[in-house]
Amino acid sequence: MNWSRDKSIVLSQFCVCAFGLLLAVLDVFGYWLVGFFIRLRSMNWQLGAVILAAVYVCSVFAWIVLWRMWKLLGNIKAGRVFIPENISHMRAVSWCCAAVALVCLLASLAYLPFFICAMASAFMALIVRIVKNAFQQALLMKDELDFTV
Amino acid sequence: MEILVNLDVMMAKRKISLTELAQRIDISPANLSILKNNKARAIRFSTLMALCHELQCQPGDILEFIDD
Repeated sequence: MNWSRDKSIVLSQFCVCAFGLLLAVLDVFGYWLVGFFIRLRSMNWQLGAVILAAVYVCSVFAWIVLWRMWKLLGNIKAGRVFIPENISHMRAVSWCCAAVALVCLLASLAYLPFFICAMASAFMALIVRIVKNAFQQALLMKDELDFTV
Repeated sequence: MEILVNLDVMMAKRKISLTELAQRIDISPANLSILKNNKARAIRFSTLMALCHELQCQPGDILEFIDD
């Protein structure tokens, strides 16, 4: 059994679905969850509004990231690994992570713990960007190899 | 400045079709067609050796350097 080929992609797809479900729950119950959080921490409603806005703006980017990752995994599963479409998916994921980092950085001006999310997201954007660069190089190599007789 | 592949000329001289040559040197007709139509980026020594063997020629008969 080839674990990497047969099960790993299915596991990744399952994780993407699980994150999608969690994100849907956050989108539906976000208002109440943030309300509960600000009551718990005795914060004012203005701060709650900033947190809620940051969560919903980030949620839009998170949906884009999940959709792009789903498409990317589908391509990898079908054996289409080094294709321009996958590089475009990774570029989109990287930019979405960078956008989330920016949103969190702005939100951290109001609520400092968002700074941790901003740093984590910026780091994620950097990692995905480097992997995208490696894929881009591999695509060139594959192109060269395809035309080697 | 480019390398021109004169495989079609050699094939015509030896009166051999693309499909038959591809079969003899054990590569796909599609790949041989890429080479014949000057679309290839590189050629393996093993392919060149097989071509020279089947067509009874030298590498220079198949490949030609064109200077601008």
